[in-house]
Amino acid sequence: MGLDGNSKAGITGTINQKKSETEVPNLTGKVHLLPCCIKYDGPSAVSHYFKPKPTGVEVEEMKVEEAHFRGRKLQGATLPIPNGYSGFVIGKKSPGKRKASDMSEQNSNTWEITAKFDNITYWNHDSLPSKVDAFVRSLHWLSVAEALHKPAAAEDLASASITLEKKR
Amino acid sequence: MESESTLPDWASKPCIMGIDEAGRGPVLGPMVYGCLYCARSYEKTLSTLNFADSKTLKEEKREELFEKLKANELIGWAVDVIDPRELSAKMLRKIKINLNEISHDSASGLVTRVLNMGVLLTDVRIFFSLKRMWVFPLMHAYLAVYVDTVGDPEKYRIKLSERFPSIKFVVAKKADSLYPVVSGASIVAKVTRDRALRDWVLDETAENMTRNFGSGYPGDPETKSWLEKHQHSVFGFPSLVRFSWGTCTSYSKNMVEVVWESDKTEEDGSSSSSGKRQLKLSSFGVTTSKRKSEEIGSSGKSRCKFFQSRKLEQLANF
Repeated sequence: MGLDGNSKAGITGTINQKKSETEVPNLTGKVHLLPCCIKYDGPSAVSHYFKPKPTGVEVEEMKVEEAHFRGRKLQGATLPIPNGYSGFVIGKKSPGKRKASDMSEQNSNTWEITAKFDNITYWNHDSLPSKVDAFVRSLHWLSVAEALHKPAAAEDLASASITLEKKR
Repeated sequence: MESESTLPDWASKPCIMGIDEAGRGPVLGPMVYGCLYCARSYEKTLSTLNFADSKTLKEEKREELFEKLKANELIGWAVDVIDPRELSAKMLRKIKINLNEISHDSASGLVTRVLNMGVLLTDVRIFFSLKRMWVFPLMHAYLAVYVDTVGDPEKYRIKLSERFPSIKFVVAKKADSLYPVVSGASIVAKVTRDRALRDWVLDETAENMTRNFGSGYPGDPETKSWLEKHQHSVFGFPSLVRFSWGTCTSYSKNMVEVVWESDKTEEDGSSSSSGKRQLKLSSFGVTTSKRKSEEIGSSGKSRCKFFQSRKLEQLANF
């Protein structure tokens, strides 16, 4: 089973979903989105240095957590990945035993799931988490997308035309 | 935060108080403001207790004097321990709070705290010495605020007097040797700072971490070697270190660069290389790499507002 992603540029990528659920590590509670760009890509002793603590404060139904990174105070909140969706860490699939000559650039664009997660903690520098934060709002897209792509039922069309009628 | 027990009888008579600080200069550990107060009528006796500026005393002597003054029912004291994480965080905030503001707030916080306990403070004396690190940042503050004379204790006095009009403030150079309450306060502050550092439990749990911090002063070889050994390419240092100190920047060459969103607006377009790097980052973040979309150029502005405001963009190159 695979997901095909066709882009405007005509590049096709495949995400191999075979190894899901039980086989890959579960990173729930360990995925953090920081308000900075760390110019490093690789493993690091995150859990030894990055120690989020609950503050006991709750704003807009979000439990505020506190952490420090490079001397800055971060305030954040952990949000569940919305129902019906999952969080995955994907990595480029290694070409395996096939000869390099067999591989065109396109079909080497294969990714596989290396970990999954059910929530994500996003952090603000100096400001409390809020429903107006771009990250929280970005999740709105999921319900908008759902509405856009859902087949329209007859009554939807009827009510839409009524609305249009009223606007006129 | 420690302070003494119930309010003694003498506290309703006119009282004097001294304030001093410890650990302002060090690159690591807490900064401590300490105060000591007593009835004005007790000041003469206080001067016979041999309090001297804490820096001229050996550590054991300071500890001994501290225990003595704690046991003395005719003396009250309080401390404000400012965590290094708080110092770093305030000094690196979007709207930065400098060390002088933190210091002033701490000193006036102590005054407020003692007043709220019901102590009848009439005189407060604050240490101000040209010899200490204290003075340089203060000059800075005055330059910023008043733009005229430099390093004038009088300005500090006026500032505090405005805040607490019923109290007479003396902000004097060498107040510690002139006023035993200030010497006492310096012992309270210094001993508290030393103990806090001695008993410090590192938040970080990486292996091979030691607690041989030294004094914490940037020039101390032990401190230098501790910093050297405890730097981390991604995280910088353990949170005991004051990241806002200039000393830390000399280590930054060994560390991974971190670009903060909050710093970005000021240095917009400063380096093309960082922009390129962000592009790469964005190609991984399916939804919300939170950098400014406009910086990438074409992709941002043509997008629908709904997506722009949520920092969402279509992922074309995977």
